[in-house]
Amino acid sequence: MNAPLLELRSICAGYGTIEVLHGVDLVVPPSSVVALLGPNGAGKTTTLSVACGLIQPTAGTVLVAGRNVAGVAPEVLARRGLVTIPEGRGIFPNLTVRENLQMATLAGTRLAAVEEVAYGRFPRLAERQTQVAGTLSGGEQQMLALARGLAVDPAVLLLDELSMGLAPLIVEELYGIVATIARSGTSILVVEQFARTVLGVADIAAIMVNGVIRSVGEPASIESELSSAYLGG
Amino acid sequence: MNDVAPVLAVEGLSVRFGGHLAVSDVSIQVHAGRITGLIGPNGAGKTTTFNAICGVTPLSAGRVRLSGEDLGRLSTHQRARRGVGRTFQRLEVFSSLTVADNVRVGLEIRRSWSRRRPPAPQFLAGATDSSLTADDEVDLIVTRIGLADSADVPVGALSTGSARKVELGRALAARPRVLLLDEPASGLDDRETGDLGVLLGELAAAGLGVLLVEHDVALVMRVCADLSVLNFGQVIASGTPTEVQSNRAVLDAYLGGDEALRSTAPIVESELGASG
Amino acid sequence: MDKFLVFTIAGLSSAAIYAIAASGLVVTYTTSGIFNFAHGAFGMLAAFGFWQVSVAWGVPTIPAVILIVFVAAPLFGAVVERVIMRGIEGSSDVVKIVVTVSLMVALLGLAQVIWPPDVSRPVPPFFEGRSVEFAGVRVQWSRLLALVVAVVVAGGLRLLFTRTRLGIAMRAVVDDRSLLQLNGGRPGRTAMLSWGLGAALAAISGVLYSTEQTLSAVTLTLLVVNTYAVAVVGRLRSLPGAFLGAVILGLAQSYVTGYINPDLTVGPIALGNLAAALPAIMLFTVLLIQPEARLRSHGAARLRPPQPVPSQRIAVFGGLALVLVLAALGSLIAPSDLVLVTKGAGFALITLSLVPLTGYAGQISLAQLTFTGIGAVAMAAWGANGSPLAVAASIALCAAVGAVIALPALRLSGIYLALATAAFALFCTAMIFNQQQIIPSGSVQVPPLSIGPFTADTDFKQLVLLAILFAGTGNLLVWLRRSAWGRRLTAMKDSPVACATLGLNLTSTKVGVFALSAAIAGAGGALAGRTFTADNFALPSSLPVTMLAVVGGIGSIAGAFMGGMLLGAIPIASTVFAANAIGVFRFVSIPVRDVLTFTPGLMGISLGREPDGAAPQIAVGYRAVGRSAAALAFTVGGVVALWLATRFGPLAKWSFAAALFVFVVAAVPLLPLILRPVLPEDTAPPPRRLACALWLALVTVAAAVFPWADRISSNGVRILLIIVFAALSARVAIGILGVAPEQLRRPIPPSPDLVGVDRPLVRADALEATRQMGLSEDDFEAEVEAIGLEHVTASRGASAVAGADR
Repeated sequence: MNAPLLELRSICAGYGTIEVLHGVDLVVPPSSVVALLGPNGAGKTTTLSVACGLIQPTAGTVLVAGRNVAGVAPEVLARRGLVTIPEGRGIFPNLTVRENLQMATLAGTRLAAVEEVAYGRFPRLAERQTQVAGTLSGGEQQMLALARGLAVDPAVLLLDELSMGLAPLIVEELYGIVATIARSGTSILVVEQFARTVLGVADIAAIMVNGVIRSVGEPASIESELSSAYLGG
Repeated sequence: MNDVAPVLAVEGLSVRFGGHLAVSDVSIQVHAGRITGLIGPNGAGKTTTFNAICGVTPLSAGRVRLSGEDLGRLSTHQRARRGVGRTFQRLEVFSSLTVADNVRVGLEIRRSWSRRRPPAPQFLAGATDSSLTADDEVDLIVTRIGLADSADVPVGALSTGSARKVELGRALAARPRVLLLDEPASGLDDRETGDLGVLLGELAAAGLGVLLVEHDVALVMRVCADLSVLNFGQVIASGTPTEVQSNRAVLDAYLGGDEALRSTAPIVESELGASG
Repeated sequence: MDKFLVFTIAGLSSAAIYAIAASGLVVTYTTSGIFNFAHGAFGMLAAFGFWQVSVAWGVPTIPAVILIVFVAAPLFGAVVERVIMRGIEGSSDVVKIVVTVSLMVALLGLAQVIWPPDVSRPVPPFFEGRSVEFAGVRVQWSRLLALVVAVVVAGGLRLLFTRTRLGIAMRAVVDDRSLLQLNGGRPGRTAMLSWGLGAALAAISGVLYSTEQTLSAVTLTLLVVNTYAVAVVGRLRSLPGAFLGAVILGLAQSYVTGYINPDLTVGPIALGNLAAALPAIMLFTVLLIQPEARLRSHGAARLRPPQPVPSQRIAVFGGLALVLVLAALGSLIAPSDLVLVTKGAGFALITLSLVPLTGYAGQISLAQLTFTGIGAVAMAAWGANGSPLAVAASIALCAAVGAVIALPALRLSGIYLALATAAFALFCTAMIFNQQQIIPSGSVQVPPLSIGPFTADTDFKQLVLLAILFAGTGNLLVWLRRSAWGRRLTAMKDSPVACATLGLNLTSTKVGVFALSAAIAGAGGALAGRTFTADNFALPSSLPVTMLAVVGGIGSIAGAFMGGMLLGAIPIASTVFAANAIGVFRFVSIPVRDVLTFTPGLMGISLGREPDGAAPQIAVGYRAVGRSAAALAFTVGGVVALWLATRFGPLAKWSFAAALFVFVVAAVPLLPLILRPVLPEDTAPPPRRLACALWLALVTVAAAVFPWADRISSNGVRILLIIVFAALSARVAIGILGVAPEQLRRPIPPSPDLVGVDRPLVRADALEATRQMGLSEDDFEAEVEAIGLEHVTASRGASAVAGADR
């Protein structure tokens, strides 16, 4: 089984009659961090939604560990070791911190284990166990979301715009944790609009423009194309 | 730097969602005949600011004035009738209507109330109030936004980029005094973005005030006369594009201030500097 | 003081029942997003079920309660969710409302079949005869029981939602459904459980209520309106709010009963029914003080293409054809049937009133017949001579009342309008239609319209008048739809927020549509020219109108006609079938008439599978006919020839009906294909036109020649055989021709072709894959140790074991 853990093959997808992705090919090899970069509206989040099963593609196939998962519900994929932290805080704002962690156990991990990892890694969350998650600061909310990615111990982790609305220092800290998760062998697909925040962590970078992957390569080799992708050169 | 009274003045605007302060003490001025840019990272509060200006989201503090009149107590449609027009970041087209009918609805809604208000400045070349029928005006706008070929196509079948043009055309059909554009260039290709820049320039030259939220920094630098940078719901810098570009705080906020990753900074700096 | 205490305790005890019922409503609404209008019907079924088990079968109380509340009701709720509600997930508000309303009507019909309403079914109170003294007042244990149960329910729900993973997941669904899925939660199962819980709570309230009053299916089902009023206090989402609302309503009703003299009158209105009108009054008061709903920018995305609007030319021709066909029909059928067809045409006008409101503006009303009633009462009062002026005044009154009713609800979301109209219907029944001063002895005679020498004083004239009215109003609506106003309504349905930022006043636009709709429904009353009873205007009569309008086809005028005729046809069919029950139904001993009582409900429920409604589906097959002049000529010619042959020739009426039906169902949709000229680009094989045309002529003649009236004695069997004959003819014709008329294309759902991931992937998989790709596992283990993730490694082992167990 040396198939990539996650592979998208010529995916077309969209919302209603508006097609957003026009044939996306993307491979996430085992134990590597793939950064999906590109300007706003390029289709990065849609790509992630297809990968985690929230949106069914209109054409193309999604392979998880080499197996076609067409039509498989997102919760089934989640229980099979595919953790997704969606854009704009992957938390339930009206649930307390502890209740949020309890939801993380739905994929099959015990609550005690989740709490141990979450509070061990983020002591600030331990202090705020009974606080409603929506009233946490942006950084703490993102930590809570990441705690799930850490505690559930996934094979594949999909992250969307971890940096959104956060101060640089916090983003740095969060990506430090992502790097840790990556080093332990989890395959990670990171969507980021602001390339600089993630290039240091990534093994492979893919640039997406207008619903297609424009280029894929090592971060160093992709740098020259970044500005043209963002500026429309 | 401007002695003329602004057409739109946002003063000390704050918006609170529950305990979360999404926008805090934001002040922006938009002048007739000028394009003001509003940039900042995702989640900085740009769309919330738009929603507060046009009355979709209630503001918790501050004032919004249009030509000196306080809009604070007015509902969304009343503000629109005073001359606030906008487009949406998440598309809000009438997807079951054709392109022409989307524009026509904008025009017809305007005609249902505009008799009580003096006509707004003309900003489309050839659009003179008296001689123009509704059909002519719709044709004119549809042509100007570059969708003459798909005038009879339902908007639901169009690409995101074209749908954004429809939103722009629809807003223009209402003849606003000030136009709030929320990422009008996302989904457009390079040529279309260029055309959009030209159109925005023309609109401003005809006397319209434009507030532009856009991620395409090159476009912003090219067309904006003034620029404000929003981060964490606050204006962290404002001035001419050149002034803003050289502002270190902006660079850190917009690009992430991580020392370890600074190696890639030149790329992104060139992104800001591309057209400066 | 004693009196006050007595009524306070009585009020609190009904408050307890309302609170339990409302908490069930809130639980299902918040967790599944579907507002269950059938909630009262759930409780009603439970009450009857409890009577059946405990009284009729003699099962002791406690096992009976356990069976009904803890077994039957939750199962029923879960099955309803799985079978019906899951299909309408993500549908528009209108479809959601109509499907649950249909369920309510179907259950009501079913209950009346199983437990015919002509028998009294007393349920003895719990702890019969036991009571306590409390501050000098004797209180029955059963009243205290309700209070205790309400407190237990409140505490239990609180525990469930804060202490159990299941309850927390139910709250999480509300926060972010897709995030719950990404966490591995199953929203579908959560929804099933919440419907089960909601049904159990409805069952508790139903069982408690069953001991208080004689069992009446209608009364128990309509108690749901009290529950709405209570739940609205918490904006339909807050349990404490619902409990507060319950206390207010319970006490208010009790004090009104205790302290207001029923003979007191305000103008022509006696206050005896005030307690029944209180929920409506409370609902409107709460709606008035709610802040206006915030506009949301949600990003407009639509999956369903809009229905095409017919051209004015087609509408004019269609209208003419309708008038002619109905006149022809009216001139042929027996007077007793004519009354029913005329009724059907009257219903068609009322269902038409929902076309602008529901079809164009996406709003819904459950009280159209209330407006019909107001129109009828006003006409009876003002227009004894049938003057058109009185008609105009009655219609204007309906429009004005409609605007006033809609205003508070329309500031809020679509569901509130449905609630407000339902409450309005109950209010009017209590305070207007059931008032001796207004409708003496329960029936009102609407004078026939009289313009100059014309008076619509016969059923035939009335039928033609209604047909002309329907055709005229239909044409007006098509014209409006094609006007700026119609475009604006479409735009408003697609994106309200965009319309507001263009300067459109959403509230006044919606109020305008509602007033138009109320006016059309009112015209249906003012111009009905027949006698109504107060029951005709009640909520249970109104619900099928809304259902069938939507089932016929949301927003299509032909659909409205079809819906109205179905409403008229159901009584026809039930009289026809009542005399001639069919063997198979005899065999299972359900009279056909009884089946028909809940048929409309079942049709509404089927909407979950056909959200477009029936008429558009059928219309697709016929649309090509309108485009081909030859086919149109053939169609009209055929119908006219058949009519002439019957009117002046040898054809019997049943033969006419059979031949007409076969012609319209089998031949007409194929005419464009048969008559179309052969095009060079046509692909093989060529359609066998001649053979098919011969076959169609043969079956039509066969239907006309067959002596239906002599050979078959039962009307029901005749109708069935004609339908079967026509369907078979059509099927064979398509087979001979080799080409079928086009069908509505539906999106093909993505096929889950391979659910290949059969065990959880863990990091070990990644490590394994990496090793095979040439990297050493030791590299990773070393790294894991280096960064201090041992505890993660340990827990990974545990989760892998847990995974293997699953």
